Amino acid sequence: MASIDTGKKGAPHVDMTPMVDLGFLLITFFMLATTFSKPKTMEIIKPAKNDDLTKSPPLKKTRSMSILLGQNDRVYYYVASDEDLAQGKLKVDSTDFSSKGLRGAIRNRQDEVAQQYGNKDTLVVLIKAMPKAKYKNMVDILDEMRITGVKSYALVDLDKVDTTIMELVGALPK
Amino acid sequence: MPKVKMKKHNITMDMTAMCDVAFLLLTFFILTTKFKPNEPVQVEIPGSTAQIPIPDKDVLLISVGNDGRIFYGVDDQFTRVAILDELAKRYGFQITGDMQKRFKLMDQFGVPLDKLAGLLNLSSDDLRNFKQEGLRVNPKAPLPGLAAGPNDDPLAKNDLAELIVIGRSINSNLRIAIKADKLSDYKNIDDVIETLRKTNSNRFNLITSARAAPE
Repeated sequence: MASIDTGKKGAPHVDMTPMVDLGFLLITFFMLATTFSKPKTMEIIKPAKNDDLTKSPPLKKTRSMSILLGQNDRVYYYVASDEDLAQGKLKVDSTDFSSKGLRGAIRNRQDEVAQQYGNKDTLVVLIKAMPKAKYKNMVDILDEMRITGVKSYALVDLDKVDTTIMELVGALPK
Repeated sequence: MPKVKMKKHNITMDMTAMCDVAFLLLTFFILTTKFKPNEPVQVEIPGSTAQIPIPDKDVLLISVGNDGRIFYGVDDQFTRVAILDELAKRYGFQITGDMQKRFKLMDQFGVPLDKLAGLLNLSSDDLRNFKQEGLRVNPKAPLPGLAAGPNDDPLAKNDLAELIVIGRSINSNLRIAIKADKLSDYKNIDDVIETLRKTNSNRFNLITSARAAPE
């Protein structure tokens, strides 16, 4: 075949530029399509449904703390002994999910329990979420339990006292 | 003046090394990539300081959207086929090859079980645009095959309970994970959790994104 004399001699050069372009294009695609950070999980173990809870001894209210999750990221908490409840006395505080708010309240309560019983792990936290509370709140409060190191806590249903409180604070439609 | 003869520079860079690097990275990404499953509902998960990674396989995923729609999915395709067979038996529909293929590739679904056949008969284009209404999850419904308990409502339906029972009868190693949107109401989560307890699945995981622990 006739060849055109270019006047140049040497090793034949392959232009790699398009290949590199293609390579980086594919890299970009795979980088965007891939999921790197594997989500973490929180393990929850609930008591079996047919466990007879009435057989277990009643919880001493003085070593408990009830936390109610309300609407609009508000949290309500109280400590009530049975005697106080019988007299209709109850002091409810409200706070938010900031590190000073809820975490401070839990830590205070831990200190109180530690003074009374000598060990802060005696504290039992009862978490009660309103139907209108957000899932985020539930995860936050469980996370708070981890951070503050509360050993015993439980997600329980609202009882009569809690519903009354919620009605009083206007968080529940009457 | 004498003309200085410039040596003509050939400005071609040697791309070979760059090409090597590009393809090395490409290989890495191809091998490590795990495609995001296409989800019928967008779920924005809340953050927590939890450290337990989600298991690689045998995951039964329950998704809850912020509108309260609930979806179900298992990660293994063989389990999916077995689940479809069982559902076809229970709800009396015929499975065609196309239906099986679609169900196999469906990471999650959320329609009442008696409407599943209709969903699988949609063409893949229609399927993409179809808004699934979510599973019926009423914790008061009696478990399939069992008599209604004293607190049960015999007319209520619980598709999720049925799917969990079927899933676990096919693969007993399934780990249950709940992936819920951070803005979904607690009521929906409570329904799911009560359903899980009813089917005796008292141990489950909540999927959260990682967040730095304070101090």
